Formats: sequence, structure tokens, C-alpha cells
Amino acid sequence: MSLFWLKTLLLAWLLTFSSWSAADIQVTDAAGRSIHLEHPAERIISLAPHLTENLFTIGAGDRLVGTVSYSDYPEAALDIPRVGSYNQLDLEGILAKRPDLILAWQSGNPASQLQRLEDLGLKIFYSEPRNFADISREFLALGQLTEKNRQAEVAADKLDNGIKSLIESHADKSPLSVFYQIWEEPLMTINGEHLISEMLRTCQGRNIFAAAASLTPRIDRESLLEADPQVILGGSQGESNPKWLKNWQAFSELQAVQAGNLFAVNSSLVTRPTLRSLAGTQAICKHLDKAREQLSEAAD
Amino acid sequence: MSHQGYRLLYWLLPLAALALLTGLLVGSVQISPGEAWAVLNGQGDPLHQTLLLELRLPRVLAAFAVGGLLAIAGALMQLLLRNPLADPYVLGLSGGAATGALLALLSGAGAIWVSGSAFIGALVSTLLVFGLARLSGNWNPLRLLLTGVVLASGWGAMISFMLAVSPSRELPGMLYWLMGDLAYAQGFALPWFTLLLVLLILQPLGRSLNVLSRGSLQAASLGMAVPRVEGLIYLLAALMTAVAVTVAGSIGFVGLLVPHALRLLFGYDQRLLLPACALAGGSLLVLADTLARTLLAPQQLPVGVITALIGVPAFLWLLSRRAT
Repeated sequence: MSLFWLKTLLLAWLLTFSSWSAADIQVTDAAGRSIHLEHPAERIISLAPHLTENLFTIGAGDRLVGTVSYSDYPEAALDIPRVGSYNQLDLEGILAKRPDLILAWQSGNPASQLQRLEDLGLKIFYSEPRNFADISREFLALGQLTEKNRQAEVAADKLDNGIKSLIESHADKSPLSVFYQIWEEPLMTINGEHLISEMLRTCQGRNIFAAAASLTPRIDRESLLEADPQVILGGSQGESNPKWLKNWQAFSELQAVQAGNLFAVNSSLVTRPTLRSLAGTQAICKHLDKAREQLSEAAD
Repeated sequence: MSHQGYRLLYWLLPLAALALLTGLLVGSVQISPGEAWAVLNGQGDPLHQTLLLELRLPRVLAAFAVGGLLAIAGALMQLLLRNPLADPYVLGLSGGAATGALLALLSGAGAIWVSGSAFIGALVSTLLVFGLARLSGNWNPLRLLLTGVVLASGWGAMISFMLAVSPSRELPGMLYWLMGDLAYAQGFALPWFTLLLVLLILQPLGRSLNVLSRGSLQAASLGMAVPRVEGLIYLLAALMTAVAVTVAGSIGFVGLLVPHALRLLFGYDQRLLLPACALAGGSLLVLADTLARTLLAPQQLPVGVITALIGVPAFLWLLSRRAT
């Protein structure tokens, strides 16, 4: 009798243990598809620089067995073997790494090559973060896929709280009209759906081309002169006084030029949907605060 | 028909086999001939099986058929237009295909839609040129050429317009498509079927093609139904080009260079020239694609870049040789 109970107990224990260790992982990705893993992913290939960075952020960077060119942050990412560039994947190289999970960039990677990988039986997680909420959601999903839930939550909270406190501290400040330049020749900016536009909104900046049809519209200088923004922002690769900024100084009739509201933002902080976008937003907010000061000084 | 010509044709067969083998064995992952042999015997590493049978074999076969189609289409266009500078795209067919493909890429459609609309674009362009050139009643090579060239610049403007208004993240994919790239090849059954079908149709016509190459007046005086044969040549060349462009984008120079090179070797007998075009064009594209996959591996190059890099100096050399 006691043996029977012992056996039952053992069986029950085994069952709970086995069902716990084979904990199925189920995650929904940006394409709305559900990804099912039997074990946390151990051999991951990332097909975009932002995915590499996000994996490092949640502490799973060491699981990467391959990535694409321009995956340059954090520094440890430079040592990961390359499997092509984001728009031309080396399918052989990817298969040879025997990955158990592929992190794909939906709008960046060639759809036909991803389809080929999927047909060959590989698991693909599609990423397409367009705003801060998407980025934190991606942290949590990657955390589940790698069983790094706790670190993923920490990262997501850090981003959410950081953005929330910026919104709160800027709620009462005066809105500023802002032009954000992403390219000099041809002159290109961003519309309201771009992540950078959300960064501007966070700091009470109003993107003057928010209503443009395409995500990164090409515009002419005339329409910019007509809109006469209070601030002009643009990307730089670290230099404090890039050439595009000097070029704007010729247009002395612009409010932004008169008040000295031309600022360079470190491109790598704002162009990738990663945790660094918080630092990018903080930098933009600081520039806009300074712009408000300079505008009120100019008015006096 | 010379025996020497046939002997040359037999040389092309081992060349084609060698090209196919090279394409299979060389890639960004090293697979030794022994390991490849094991895979072909149904054994070997499962990874090697996937690499060889699922990735390389379909791509190499698609490359061979596309190269063959382009070379034959080029030879036919040069014959039809009596113009040594004609290539499969000279009548605007690739422009029509590119317009279709870019429209599909722009609307974010899947890979199958991109191929499908490229094919439709190619057909629309073909029928436009055919209809416009026939409008006047007589089938004049110069008129055909002019119609095609004007239509091609029209398509070119459409392509530039779409590149200008498309979101910047779509641009790399579009540019790769325009440069010609076998990474997008969806299958090899359609190009192979087209290639074999066209060779079967053309082989009994070889004598008529030879007569036609001396000029349409001479052919007509020998009792040939010139407009009918010319119409058939045009439609076959257009079909081949449409299939090739649909599978691999607009790959340049294969259709221009290969027929010229082979004419120097084989003379002007179309019965030899067309099968030779299939073999040599196929081999050239397989080798170029192998280079594209491995030259900067893991970075992948579009094969159109390689064919043009090989094609431009080779063509200039051929031209200068002819001049002397």
C-alpha cells in the first residue's frame, strides 16, 4: 500500500517536473504569427542590427551565432560571425550555423529569402518596431524566447518609465515646431509614423512634416522655408558641427537660424528601435529645452 | 553544316557539366567533393543535404536555364532586327517586367506576386510593341526597333518615378531586382520547360532562320512566309525573355555577348548556333552566379553585376577584333 502511494507520488512529481522542464514557449510576433518553441532558443541568428542590440540588452547576446553587417553595438556584437547584409542574406551561411531561432526584420529583409528559410523548417520571429510600446513588447517577447524574462522586464520598464517621466516633465512646456533632417542631398525628413516623430512628441516637439504620406519623404527647401520651423534637428555621426548644419545658417530668415536653434543629434541613438532610443529621446528633449530658452531670449 | 561545328558543340557539353558541378560544389560553406558524393548517394550530413539539394541545386539549375533562355533570345533578336547591338531587352521587355515587379514590391506584395506582375508587365510590353509595329501593316525591323526603344525609355521613366517616390527602406530590394539576382529565383521548372520547348520549336526551323539571316527580301523571293516566321521569332524571343526576367530580374549582357562570341566560333548556321547559345549562356550564368555568391561571401552580390563586369570588357575585345 505504501509502495503504491510512493509510486503515485513519484509519478506525479515526475509528471510535474517533466511538464515544467518541457515548458512550451509561445510568442506572438510583429507579423501577428505565433512562434512555438519547445526549449528556450540557444542558437540565434539576428538579421538586423537593432535585433542584435535588443538581444544583448536582455542579456541573451551570447546566444547569437550569426548576424548581419552593421551590427556594431554593443562592441561584443562585432565578434559575431556575419551571414550577409540585411538585404542580401547568405542562406548557406545561415543554415550552416544550425540556428534554432531566426530574428527577422519584416520590412528590411527580403521576403522571398525569409520564405525560403521558413520552407526549410527554420523558426522565424518577425520584428517591426515602430514606436516605444513596440520596442518594450519586443524586449518581452525576446525574453520569453530566450527565457530571460526578468532581464527583459527590467529593460522594458526602464524604457517605459524613462519615456513616461519625459512626457510628464514636458507636459506643461510650450509646443515647438520642429524640422528633423535625416538626409541632406536630397533633403529628406520623417513623417508622423516614424519613431523619431514620437521622440519629438515626447518632448512637446511638433514634426512639421508629420502629415506627409511616406515614412521618409523627400522634400524641397521651399516648403521648409514656408513652414519656418522653430527648431531644426538632424543626425550626426558624432561630430558637433556637421556640414548640413552650417548649410542651414545661410537661410537667416528662418526663426530656427535667428534663435540659433540648430542641433545635431547622435544618429545611432535615434535611428535604431532599441533601448538606446531612450537616450536619444533625452538628448532631443534637452535640445528642445535649450531651444525654448533661446526663443524666449530672442523675443525679449 | 560543318563537322567542325558539331565537334565544337560537343565541347560545350562537358563545359556545361563542369559549370553545373562548380556551381554545386562552391558556395559560402565548404563542402568537399567526397561529402557531396555522399549526399548524392542519399547519405551524408543532413546540413549538407539541405545545402546541396534545397539551396544550390535549384539555384544552379535556374541559373543555367535563365542563361540559356537569354542567350537564345538575344540571338533571335539580333537575327530579327538585323542589328548586332540587339539584346533580349532592346524592345523594352525588361522595362515592362521591371515596372510590374517594382509596382508589386512597392505595394508590399509577396514574392509570388512580384514574379507574377513581372511576367504580366513583360507580356504587356511585348503586345504593345507587337501591336504598334504591326499597325502600319508592314513588319519593318527598323520600325520595330524604334518602337521598342521608345517604349523602353517610357518604362525607364516609370521605373525612375517609382524609385523616386518609394520609401527608402524598399530601395535596396528594388535595386537588387533591377540589377538581376538569382536569390529571388522561385523554381527551375518553368525556365527549363520554356528552354526545351523553344529549342524543339526552333530546330526544324533552322533552315528558314538561315535564309532569313541573309535578309527578308531574299527570303521572300525564295518563297518563305517572312512575316509569319518573323512574328514567331519575336513571340518566342519575348516569351523566353519574359520567363528569364520573371525568374531572375533583368540580367544584362548574357543575351548580347554569348551569341556574338558563338558566331565567331561557329559561324552563322542557326541550327548550331541556337543549341550552342543554350549551353554557353547557361554555363556563363551558372559560373557568374557562383562568383556572385562567393566572391565577397558572406556578402552576396547580384549576378547582373558579375555578368556586366565580365561582359563589358569581353564585348569590347570582340568588337575591336572584328574591326581589324
